[in-house]
Amino acid sequence: MSASVGKVLLAVKGLTAAVGGRNVLKGIDLTVRAGEVHAIMGPNGSGKSTFSKVLAGHPVYEVTGGEALFDGVDLLALTPEARARAGFFLGFQYPVEVPGVANAQFLRLAYNTVRGGRGKDELDPLEFDDFVREKMKLLEMDPAFLDRSVNEGFSGGEKKRNEILQMALLEPRLALLDETDSGLDIDALRIVAGGVNHLRSADNAVVLVTHYQRLLNYIVPDFVHVMDGGRIVLTGGKELALELEARGYDWVEEAARSKAARAA
Amino acid sequence: MNDVGHPFLRGLLARRSPLTPTTPTAPTAPSVSWLLALRAEALERGSTLAVPTTRDEDWRFTDLVPLTRTGFGPVTAAPSLGADALAPFHIPEAGARLVFVDGCFSAPLSVIAAQGGGLFAGSLAAAFHTHDELLHTHLTRLADFRDDAFMAVNTAHLHDGALIVAEAGHAVPQPVHVLHISTLADVAIHPRLLVVAYRDSDLTVIEDHVSLHHGACLSNAVSEIAVAAGARVRHIKLQRAGKAAFHVATTTTHVERDARYHAVGIALGARLSRENLHVVQAGTGTDCQLDGLALIGGRQIADTHSFVDHALPDGTSCQLHKCIAAGAAHAVFNGRVLVREGAQRTNSAQQCRSLLLSGKAHIDAKPQLEIFADDVKCSHGAAIGQLEADEVFYLRTRGLDEVAARNILTYAFAAEIVGRIPVRSVVERLRAEVLQQTGAREIA
Amino acid sequence: MSAVLQSLIDQPYQHGFVTDIESDTVPKGLDESVIRMISLKKNEPAWLLDFRLGAYRHWLTMTEPTWPNVHYPKIDFQDISYYSAPKPKAKLASMDEVDPELLRTFEKLGVPLHERAALAGVAVDVIFDSVSVATTYKKKLAEVGVIFCSFSEAVHEHPELVRRYLGTVIPSADNFYAALNSAVFTDGSFCFIPRGVKCPMELSTYFRINTQESGQFERTLIIAEEGASVSYLEGCTAPRFDTNQLHAAVVELVALDNADIKYSTVQNWYAGDENGLGGIYNFVTKRGLCKGVNSRISWTQVETGSAITWKYPSCILLGDNSVGEFYSVALTNHYQQADTGTKMIHVGRNTRSTIVSKGISAGHSSNSYRGLVKIGPRAEGARNYSQCDSMLIGQQCSASTFPYLQVQNHTAKVEHEATTSRIGEEQLFYFASRGIGNEEAVSMIINGFVKDVFTQLPMEFAVEAGRLLGLKLEGSVG
Repeated sequence: MSASVGKVLLAVKGLTAAVGGRNVLKGIDLTVRAGEVHAIMGPNGSGKSTFSKVLAGHPVYEVTGGEALFDGVDLLALTPEARARAGFFLGFQYPVEVPGVANAQFLRLAYNTVRGGRGKDELDPLEFDDFVREKMKLLEMDPAFLDRSVNEGFSGGEKKRNEILQMALLEPRLALLDETDSGLDIDALRIVAGGVNHLRSADNAVVLVTHYQRLLNYIVPDFVHVMDGGRIVLTGGKELALELEARGYDWVEEAARSKAARAA
Repeated sequence: MNDVGHPFLRGLLARRSPLTPTTPTAPTAPSVSWLLALRAEALERGSTLAVPTTRDEDWRFTDLVPLTRTGFGPVTAAPSLGADALAPFHIPEAGARLVFVDGCFSAPLSVIAAQGGGLFAGSLAAAFHTHDELLHTHLTRLADFRDDAFMAVNTAHLHDGALIVAEAGHAVPQPVHVLHISTLADVAIHPRLLVVAYRDSDLTVIEDHVSLHHGACLSNAVSEIAVAAGARVRHIKLQRAGKAAFHVATTTTHVERDARYHAVGIALGARLSRENLHVVQAGTGTDCQLDGLALIGGRQIADTHSFVDHALPDGTSCQLHKCIAAGAAHAVFNGRVLVREGAQRTNSAQQCRSLLLSGKAHIDAKPQLEIFADDVKCSHGAAIGQLEADEVFYLRTRGLDEVAARNILTYAFAAEIVGRIPVRSVVERLRAEVLQQTGAREIA
Repeated sequence: MSAVLQSLIDQPYQHGFVTDIESDTVPKGLDESVIRMISLKKNEPAWLLDFRLGAYRHWLTMTEPTWPNVHYPKIDFQDISYYSAPKPKAKLASMDEVDPELLRTFEKLGVPLHERAALAGVAVDVIFDSVSVATTYKKKLAEVGVIFCSFSEAVHEHPELVRRYLGTVIPSADNFYAALNSAVFTDGSFCFIPRGVKCPMELSTYFRINTQESGQFERTLIIAEEGASVSYLEGCTAPRFDTNQLHAAVVELVALDNADIKYSTVQNWYAGDENGLGGIYNFVTKRGLCKGVNSRISWTQVETGSAITWKYPSCILLGDNSVGEFYSVALTNHYQQADTGTKMIHVGRNTRSTIVSKGISAGHSSNSYRGLVKIGPRAEGARNYSQCDSMLIGQQCSASTFPYLQVQNHTAKVEHEATTSRIGEEQLFYFASRGIGNEEAVSMIINGFVKDVFTQLPMEFAVEAGRLLGLKLEGSVG
């Protein structure tokens, strides 16, 4: 576990949320400091992706209680775009296809909007082209992607690389990557993980939401949290991920219960 | 008063275009007997047919009363335009250009392709002297006017138009631009286009209807496209008429064995427009792609009726039609796909997607699938609604505000069709136009 | 098509016998005196006669619809007898007094009328030609306040209810056949589920046409008051005759606030022979009004019979949050023609509708889906999803899809999808190469194809409907 203590970037306390009147998050506490990597693991339906979307402000979910402070600012009061401009990034599990909009157009627009939101100058198309091509090398992406429509007809791996490319461009302070490893073959996984590691710094933080341990071989987490039933039921170091890999998720409930019993 | 026929049609037929030209620069069509007989028959049909009403299944969503209430005179003298008037509509990629001002062929503005280089592109009137046999064979062969009032009226006026012929085995490298410029209000014009692509030829035609005024006028167009075996034709139809114009057009295409036809139709203008697209897959192994976009606002009505007729086996058709209706606009799509008995292994997919941008806009969609062969793969789908919430959210997570996100997605919705036009400058010009109409300045 | 395939679909009609029973049948022909006679025979109040005559006078001004995708010789409406009833011996005091010939008829059809022998948990009203001959479990239903009786009986016992709702969903001048029905209807079923009552058993009507020259014009009215719910089943058969017979029924459903009506039909009228001779012309108007908030009307139909089917069970979604559903399997074989579908008229806010239509065509038949989804200007947030699939068996049949989508509210979302598939020799070979025989393969493919609809049917009906499809399709694939 990392001993260094960075500035608190994200402080989630007692967060609850519902969709269609059904409670899906039942009280989440999570603190992420600058320089840290967190992994949120858990079985399907445990609420991992929901948690990601709620933090990004997906309109389908209704926050029913608790708070989430991002660098001291009430994240939940912001629109999704304001969260992005503030430096919160969500890497989508299923990136949306936008036929008709060229990827280059889209990336430059997002880049300039977010930079503008931070009071920085915008890049014109030529400057941006140089800039984005540089970033694409990092992810071993073919520049032809710039001319194609956003995510349209991209393979699963291409979509995920495109997500990480956006992360590289937007330079978020906190990146929450939802199942970024799903659908990736081992080469693509290595490239994506390399990109994320390259973007890590003492000033930012990464939260990986994942079902499997294999991504964590490449991006080593400081903390591993296990979600189940809309709660974080267990938190540990990177060794917890290996234990989950070996023993599955069934024992988690038991471990959580015994831990609770010990505490009592 | 004559008690047969419809007063509106009689008005349109009262003063028919003479065979002699209305502009001194245009060539004169000869008094060919078959042409005179054709015009006489069309006059007779036009005088007895009724103007369709919403009680006719083919017109149930589009009321023609605003059209029939408006009177239109014939074009007696078309103004001569300078080359500068053409500049905004110039398509640099085009090789040949046929310009019609208020329906009249303008030789000075046109760049014709004389015979010899594998391509003929010129006026019909002139072609009567040189291509009599071809015209006799093809004119009205595909566009049967006998049961259609608008086509009958067009044919009754038939004396000029555009003729484009691609010789067998010849790939025409540059698109042919057929430009119709409307300068006069209160007139009716009857544009005619005949495209003949012989065996294994390759041809791109851009049929372009633009307006220099905001008055009411009627453009009643008929296009016939014959695609012979192994040939490939791309047909781009741009309808950018004035906002008070009426545009009624029928395009009939015959596609023969192993030939390919790609149509892209973009409807931006006109108070009321109606596009009839009739594609007959008249050979085996044909491949047709139909892409359409209607982007309208205000009180515009854009009605597209397509009919893809799979008459023989192993044909493929793929159609994507999109409507975006803002203001109090009304978009109509009726897409019929017929797979006839014996047209086995037909593969047909049709999609109609529509966006309603305001509370007063509305859309009527009627995809029709009629299948008389069992070994086929056919599907159609229609979706009407708003932008996908997930797409709006995705853009917002990348920092765009909601209005910008919506504008961009609306733009993208339209741009997908525009992007399928195989002529780069047209794509760029239309993208700019669509950007302006969708307010998506952010990605300009 | 191979012989195996053909023989698999060509099964004889099982219900084609005629019951020899003395009938009271009026002479052929239609004029006001016939209508007055029907009304008199049924001892009807003056308002109902006025309703009939009004409809008749309007009908005279109407013309037969020509837009359906069906073809048949012009019907001579003067060549039909508009009333036929088995002669009753006396007024019946109990089911035991029903003419034994009739009891045997219905037993043969699988609808025993003695309550002790009847299908457990299903109350049945039985219509023989023009009249209701028996209704089971009436007493038991009355205990919870549910009225289930013949339409004629309801006119006498509950005139205020009949008068309040009759013609409110389908006005007498709605269309040609609805107007004709409104003029000459003879009997039918009436159900009334009072406020808050969940009907304790399935209600069912069994229709049987017996007389050769008669038309059948029944009328069904179902009302579910606030919070009430009911599941209703309808079955139909007719003997084999070489002539065509007209069946022009009207069914009206009314659902008040939070009410729920589920209406299921297994239609197996005589379809004509393998050369297209004879069979029923099934021209039916069915419509439900979701009048109250949160109400729901669900139509499920399995259409296997009739020479021609022309019906569009529809929902008018007037109440906010109301729900309309239409699940249909339509099977045509030989020279059968079907033009069937639904109309979902969204008027209220947040109204939702689902359409699942599965058409199976074999032989020389023609099978069309025709549906309208209309979103009115006030239907904020309305949603529709339609899935219309066709399956073709053989090269002489046809399948068509005619959806009409009319959207006048920009917050609405309407989606329509249609696909076609087939059962052909290659499919069967693939199955065979995995050890699955033709009959089983066809059955598997068909069952998979119709599954989404069959799961909507009440259990007993689903079994019956599955058996029926199997019988109808046996031999059509190979």
